[in-house]
Order: sequence, then C-alpha cells, then structure tokens
Amino acid sequence: MLGDSRKAQEVFHATLREAAQRAARGELPSEPFWLFRDARWRCLEATKSDLQPESLEMEEHDIAVEAASQIQGLDPMQLAIWISAAPDPQRSALALFYLDEFDYREILDLAELKLGELSRLLANGRRQLQAWLDAKFPQTREA
Amino acid sequence: MSAIQSADRSMRSAISRADGSADFENQQNFDRAVARLVRLITIPAETAEWFSEKDLTPASKWTWKKMVRNPAVLAISIAVAVIAGVFVFNFVSHLNDFPGSTTARKLLGVAASTRPVMLDPVNAEAGTLSDLFFMKHGLEHYDVPEEFVDFATIGCRVFEDDESRRIAQIWVSEKRMQFFLFPAERDSKTGAVLRFPGWRYVHQEGWTGAVIERSGVCFMAAIRGRDKDLEPYIAKPKE
Repeated sequence: MLGDSRKAQEVFHATLREAAQRAARGELPSEPFWLFRDARWRCLEATKSDLQPESLEMEEHDIAVEAASQIQGLDPMQLAIWISAAPDPQRSALALFYLDEFDYREILDLAELKLGELSRLLANGRRQLQAWLDAKFPQTREA
Repeated sequence: MSAIQSADRSMRSAISRADGSADFENQQNFDRAVARLVRLITIPAETAEWFSEKDLTPASKWTWKKMVRNPAVLAISIAVAVIAGVFVFNFVSHLNDFPGSTTARKLLGVAASTRPVMLDPVNAEAGTLSDLFFMKHGLEHYDVPEEFVDFATIGCRVFEDDESRRIAQIWVSEKRMQFFLFPAERDSKTGAVLRFPGWRYVHQEGWTGAVIERSGVCFMAAIRGRDKDLEPYIAKPKE
C-alpha cells in the first residue's frame, strides 16, 4: 500500500497501538476486519501529503502467455512500489487481492467497493502491469 | 436478495463463462505469479517480530460471570424475574380460590371500613338474628353457623352490594369480629349453587375471613388478623 517500509512500520505500530488501547478499554469492534480497514485508512492518510503521481493515461496490454516468467524477473520491492503508486481505490484493490489473504467478498467489504468496480480495477491493473512488464522486459515479449 | 448473494451469482456465472478459456488460464497464471512475488516482499524485522503464533488481542473467554454482568442479560433477567414473580404471586393468591371468594374479599374491605355507628344497635346472641333477617328483610337461610351462635352482638345491618345482592352484616363483641351472610355464587347457565366443602380462608388488607356455604348462603367470620386467630372458633380443620 505504501511502497515504503519505514512508513509501513509507522502505520503498523499506530494501528496496533490503537487496537491495544481499544482492547484495554474493552471497546474492540465486533466486526471481523476492522483492524485491516483501520490500517488501510492510515495508509491512505499517510500518502496524502506525499508527492502525488501525475494523472496520465496508463498504457494497457493484454496479458501475455509469458507474463508469469516476466513477473519472476521482477524485484519484489519494485512490484510493491508499482502497486503503491496506483491511485486509490485501485491501489487498495490490488494490494488486498495480491496479498492472497482475503476472498473477494472480504475485499469488497474492506475496500468498500462493489463487485463490478473491483473487477474493473483488477482487470485494468493487470493490463497496466502487463504494459509495464513489457516495457521493462521487451526481449521476453519479443521472444 | 442480498448484495453478497447477488455478487456470488455474478461471480459463479463469470467463472463458469471464462472457465477453460486460454485468456482465463493466462490471467490465473498471472495472478498466481504476482501473489508469489508479493509474498517475497520483505517485512521489516521490527514489524516481523510482532507476527507470532500468539494472538495480539486474544478473544476474551466466555464465562457465566461475564454473561451475567452483561447489562442486556441483566436487564432481561430482572424483567423475567419480575414477570415470574407477578405470575407466581397471582397463582398463589388464587390457589385457594373457591366460589364466592371474590365477594368474600370485597366484604373484608367493607369490614375494614365499617364503623359501629353504621350498624343498627342490637344486643342479642348472633344465632337469634336469623329470625330478624327473615322476618324483617325476607332473607331465608341467613343463619349464623353453630360455632358462632353464642357470640354477643353489638349491631347489625342489611345492605346491597354493587351487584344488588343483599348482604347481612353482624358486629360481635368477641375480638371485634364481624360476620357476613351473602348469597352463594351460582352457575350462570343452570343457576345451581356452586358448593364447596368446609371452611375456606380469604385474606385482604390485613383481614382474614373464614367462609362456609350452607343452603345457598355463604357465612363469613371476619377478623383483623391471621388464620390462627380464627382457627380456634372453627370446629373442623380448614381444607
């Protein structure tokens, strides 16, 4: 969500601190994903003051057969930075989806999206990521 | 239909349409590859320390004590206890009901509010008043039972209650007891007297009455006190 481990750590600790305080007061919410929802809002808040990416039309490519091997060539942090640079709610959708921890209903609940929106955001995200991969590894695509 | 059910249906139908197609397979491979890479993103050591087998905020254990202290449970318990209390009170208070007990209770209320000046002064034995009630008021079988015939009277009167039934009231000097004679309750369809055996007790506002039915007329000896204050006067044990 943040593409910055220092900021991520701050958000993580702030979220845990809040959870501990609520637990001490006996005010822990009963809804299942409140901690993740809280962390997501803290992440969005933390990036508000950052330099914002220019709004531009992202190039999109169809998913290639060799996409999996292209992805293997990526550095994990590069992917994290690419996802964190996406505008929200696409960023939340991609981060939650590729964390592979939640089913789509939980993502809809967490990111406050409708099914159609989530589907569109993920589809666009895949095509944009593919375009980026093609730009990064042109020889793989040509081969 | 809920949003989730609708989403499930859309999802199932989308998967069933795409299943087996090359594009869908490509997409699944793509997603799996990205997810694998995401798992390789390093978590700062300081943060990773927090992820352990232990729960960060262990769920509080359910206990009877906690449940009883829950305000909602407490409120419901109190309400149920009050309702149960009222129900038991009503049940117990009507446990010894008998035909005419309602009238008897009303007459205990009359006894509590009666003053000597309200009665005609009569200086005789209670048993002799049967003739007076018959001769003067035309009341048949308004007889004082044997147990109370010898009691010296202070006064008596005949009045009508709120259902126009004629009630005879006698005040005796013995422990300032009062006697009441009133028509026994009858079956509303057949008109037959609803009989009950022996003496029965009723209670109202600190007063106690011992009631017996004979020849379609109920006799009640009323006293300010309890059952034991009347028991010595009643020949047979109460039923």
